[in-house]
Amino acid sequence: MTETLLELKGLEVTFKTRRGTLKAVDDLSLSIKKGEILGIVGESGAGKSMTGAAIIGLIDPPGRVSAGEVWFEQERVDAHPERLRGRQISMVFQDPLTSLNPLRTVGDQLIETILVHMNVSKSEAVQRARDGLAEVGIDPDRLNAYPHAFSGGMRQRVVVALALATEPKLVIADEPTTALDVSVQAQVLDLLKKLCRERGTSVMLITHDMGVIAQTSDRIAVMYAGRLAEIGSTREVLTNPQHPYTQGLMASTPSVDAKSFGKTLFQIPGSMPKLDALPNGCAFNPRCNQVHERCRTERPPLMSDRAACWLMETAS
Amino acid sequence: MSFVVAKDLCRTFDLSEPWIVRKLTMQPKRLLKAVDHVNFEIERGTTYALVGESGSGKSTIANMVVGLMQPSAGSITIDGQNLGNASMNRQEQQRLRRRIQMVFQSPYASLNPRWKVGDILSEPMRAFNLIDGATAQRRRVAELLEQVGMSETDAGKFPHEFSGGQRQRISIARALASQPEVIICDEPTSALDVSVQAQVLNLLKSLQQDFGLTYLFITHDLAVVSTMANKIGVLNQGVLVEEQATVDLFSKPQQDYTKMLLSAAPKIEFSS
Repeated sequence: MTETLLELKGLEVTFKTRRGTLKAVDDLSLSIKKGEILGIVGESGAGKSMTGAAIIGLIDPPGRVSAGEVWFEQERVDAHPERLRGRQISMVFQDPLTSLNPLRTVGDQLIETILVHMNVSKSEAVQRARDGLAEVGIDPDRLNAYPHAFSGGMRQRVVVALALATEPKLVIADEPTTALDVSVQAQVLDLLKKLCRERGTSVMLITHDMGVIAQTSDRIAVMYAGRLAEIGSTREVLTNPQHPYTQGLMASTPSVDAKSFGKTLFQIPGSMPKLDALPNGCAFNPRCNQVHERCRTERPPLMSDRAACWLMETAS
Repeated sequence: MSFVVAKDLCRTFDLSEPWIVRKLTMQPKRLLKAVDHVNFEIERGTTYALVGESGSGKSTIANMVVGLMQPSAGSITIDGQNLGNASMNRQEQQRLRRRIQMVFQSPYASLNPRWKVGDILSEPMRAFNLIDGATAQRRRVAELLEQVGMSETDAGKFPHEFSGGQRQRISIARALASQPEVIICDEPTSALDVSVQAQVLNLLKSLQQDFGLTYLFITHDLAVVSTMANKIGVLNQGVLVEEQATVDLFSKPQQDYTKMLLSAAPKIEFSS
């Protein structure tokens, strides 16, 4: 399964504002293979959600995809992303409270989704909806229950069932577990992973949590200020991070470890720059602990297909 | 005796239908026990963390300790003084309240957007009649801002001009303004990014060392308190199920619920 499913080439999302044009996503190129789980990690404002929204054409004006190409199964699709939306690519949003319609039963919503996107009869749609619920561990007889009757974790499982109901080839999960408790988070992630593995569905998992990514994804892309900072297999990025931002991000994440008591957490000074005040050169240079002259003037390209950092050049 | 003592703390919420509906439909009263006979003690200058999932009653306890909610039963004593003592007059109550401050979860919701930072920080000084005179207050505001790693000139700005991490620093400065001895931190970093979270946690820790503060830390994330909590209490549905020193809790958890929480916490370590 090495065939490429989705490929982004130089994707750029811009917002026209009074303060000028802001680049929320800046020259982003990456690909997802069939059956692969790609984790996109970054802090707020890194452009990770915008990337997901750009792929399925959900960016609201004044934002727009201003440059770059999106390829899906060897076809260029950025002109009409709505053709893929729902059928080929589906989405799991952060908050299950707001992504389900509170006035309609979950069955209604599942059946509607199946009827709209798939060429099946009403009775078959009902059957598929029941199967879908059963797969995510919810009693199929609760088809007629309203979203409020479910707990947060169950609601998010309904959303997962909804996303998988049309047998998509790619699921974009945007912070799917941020609103959930840790114990429920683990259940939902395991479920998403298991179902996608069974069906060979690819997943783009967008999150700010390194831990979630570490346990779920095959490859990791780290974003910073709209740009790709580092990309690589989960093992490589976690055991041997190349970009100083990735290194800092991992070192500053507290862990459940008896040895950490009394220690001071590593901290990256400052905060992510605002998009209207990006520094010259590398966007991370004012916070970087290994900065040198070149970083302040020239923007580093992605080197060795791994990290956008000038240090990579001196290393090789 | 410990500095903060919660004894047999209980809080029930009445979820019943209105009286007349209850009588007509013959329903009994419905009571929710949010906090059920919780006992804990915090030594002066240490950090105690209450950890639990949503609905475990941790924020209810925080609200009771800070005096925003009355316990249904049980008591909270701070430095030997009972918080709910009805015989205390207003002044005594206020004097006790000055010594307890709170840092809230969301720095976006807990700062008044129409007030300048300087006004936000000098409000506790005015409320408790601590410092008289505008110049003296201004000097204290500058000092507070410096203590949380911000600059004096920030006093003239509005909260919206700051990032989430900076806003949480302002919240911490406001909590420090009345020179408290106990600070209750209710999920102080859950709205922040990882790199900023580390900054805020380190700040809280260095302030504790400088001023000998006592912290009650409320969180759902065990990892957040791993570096600073001396003791951790695990709450499940209003009951304190386990309490141990941090190192022991992580290495030898006793209860199944604690083990489950520990194993569910996402770890960065790569495991294939």
